[in-house]
Amino acid sequence: MEYGFSVGQLGRVLFKPKAVFAEIAEHDVSAPAVFFGCAIWLGLFPPLFAYVGTMLFGWRLGVAPLFLPASTVLAVSAAYFALLLAGFLSTAFVARWMAATYGADVSLGRSLALITLVGAPLMVGSLAHLYPDAYLNVVVLVPALIWSMYLLYRGVPVALKTDPSRGMLMASSLIAYLLVAWVSLLGITVVLWSRGVGPRIIT
Amino acid sequence: MSSASAAHAGAPARAVYDDRIVTAFTAASIVWALLGMAAGVYVAAELVVPQLGFDVPWLSFGRLRTVHTTLVLFGFGISALIGTSFYSVQRTSHVPLFAPRLAWFVFYAWQAAIVLGGWSLLAGWNGGKEYAELEWPFDVAIAVVWISYAVVFFGTVARRTMAPIYISNWFYGALIIVVAMLHVVNNLELPVSIGKSYSLFPGAQDAIVQWWYGHNAVGFLLTGGFLGMLYYFLPKQAEQPIWSYRLSIVAFWAFVYTYIWAGPHHLHYNAIPAWVQSLGVVMSLILLAPSWATMINGVMTVSNAWRKLRTDPALKFIVLALAFYGLATFEGPMLAIRSVNVMSHFTEWTIGHVHSGALGWNALITFGTFYYLVPRLAGRPLASTRLANVHFWLALVGTMLYVISMWGAGISQGLLWLTLDDLGEVRYSFVEVMRAMQPYYLIRLLGGLLFLVGTTLMAVNLARTFRGVRTVRSLAPEPVAVAARAASA
Repeated sequence: MEYGFSVGQLGRVLFKPKAVFAEIAEHDVSAPAVFFGCAIWLGLFPPLFAYVGTMLFGWRLGVAPLFLPASTVLAVSAAYFALLLAGFLSTAFVARWMAATYGADVSLGRSLALITLVGAPLMVGSLAHLYPDAYLNVVVLVPALIWSMYLLYRGVPVALKTDPSRGMLMASSLIAYLLVAWVSLLGITVVLWSRGVGPRIIT
Repeated sequence: MSSASAAHAGAPARAVYDDRIVTAFTAASIVWALLGMAAGVYVAAELVVPQLGFDVPWLSFGRLRTVHTTLVLFGFGISALIGTSFYSVQRTSHVPLFAPRLAWFVFYAWQAAIVLGGWSLLAGWNGGKEYAELEWPFDVAIAVVWISYAVVFFGTVARRTMAPIYISNWFYGALIIVVAMLHVVNNLELPVSIGKSYSLFPGAQDAIVQWWYGHNAVGFLLTGGFLGMLYYFLPKQAEQPIWSYRLSIVAFWAFVYTYIWAGPHHLHYNAIPAWVQSLGVVMSLILLAPSWATMINGVMTVSNAWRKLRTDPALKFIVLALAFYGLATFEGPMLAIRSVNVMSHFTEWTIGHVHSGALGWNALITFGTFYYLVPRLAGRPLASTRLANVHFWLALVGTMLYVISMWGAGISQGLLWLTLDDLGEVRYSFVEVMRAMQPYYLIRLLGGLLFLVGTTLMAVNLARTFRGVRTVRSLAPEPVAVAARAASA
């Protein structure tokens, strides 16, 4: 039976993650079902909140608010959305690639479900984007990040059905991938920026 | 006791390894880690609450920051490297240390240099070169100690009773030779008083020499030296041979050849020839290959030893160290690219990059090694596995908070610095941008504090493990003629 993993289960994902991990492990999980039923909707939260917050309050980086033209905010938010989905998918593919090394389940659906679930605290924490103040966002998103890391280490061995020790190794390898992917994104952003492809700020 | 005296007493002709000195270096390294990291946390706190300087020169950021880097690099890092190299070179050469008294001279002289050197930095003596701030009397002393260290290490390798020189000794050997070269050349200076000297190199040449030193200190000390540690202690902990010994040799030569050219990437857009900058970029990018080859070698070695993780908290630290090694060695070449560097340079991103290596790689690999080493030196199990596991999570979360907060800070600084007003002038003043850094500095402080708490737990745990016992006497294997070993191999 195919497992119906959807965004409607967000409450369970956040507050009963162990049960959801176990369900992922027990059922057949289809990657398209997870992607279209959950990942795409969760991934919509941060750019949507960022768009609304930036248009209403501007970026508040500790100096006077920086406002951007609506078209720029839309483009930044769309890029944010696309990158989040790319992040979910690429991490799931990397997890599937690593699975053989760590004796884990090689189903893409399970990997994607796990990664989506792991990202859930950060997606919900992105509510802070509604007021794009650096302080507020740091204070909210840092605990969310720690929560996500906790879910990753707890979730890998259960959802991907491997020994807890091997799961720990795999989770650490995924952390390495995520850190490298994250810093690559910063690098690409800066290269584009220094070549003139960047936000136009109304001061 | 030397092999000669053991044989003289009628005992079997098996030498006793000199491990007391390893214990001494390990203990010193942990003390410097605590003091150096505490100094780091204090200067991080000063950036959040500047009043913590109390207008006392000894507590000023400029002085304490150099004390922090000197204590963690020279005190914590190098003490750990010398101690672990003394431990591993004996076991991979099957002989005790060459010139053990000289080895003790290295220990006492090195610790004295750090105590007095740290004090001189607090008092305001400063040569003005980053990571080489100590003034000329200390430069001379360090050179003498380092040459003594080289004599002990290479003397031991030369007396080995087996034909091959194990890969960890190649890395430790490169560390010793290259650091000697860097230290002597970068500190060629003209003393004008006991506490002041001037570099012999003029202007831009001085900058090139300084960053040839600075980047290769990162390369051969913080990378190569600690890879020596990894290549000995990882297979020992995992009870597995290295996944690919051939890959480790290839990576060593590629690493040695490439790293030495990468320094000019610290001087982009400066008054040095453009081709020198470009050479630095190209070599930095090539460097990714040997760096990641080593990471893969380490990860695959651990992945075959996952059962050990159930009982061995030390291995977890090594696994995580490899993850941050992967990050730092990817991020470094990326930051060397000019169009990234134009924004990232002088921002907090660089500080974050340094600490993803220093905390995530250097400190974690050392912690993992100490958790393996100290129970063996003490001859009893680790006092508390639970405490070591708590340390693991504190170190992971602390490093993540540090690195990510500095990414945020760096990007924000870049954005604000590059924002121009209608006249094309820089819109935000230095003070305004500094004020905007507050949330990131606060999170960095929290990350550093968590890391320091974890290190303190380790110190307590290892002290309890060692309480009331002496260093265990370990015997070298039966001597076998080099020729016979080579023939059987």
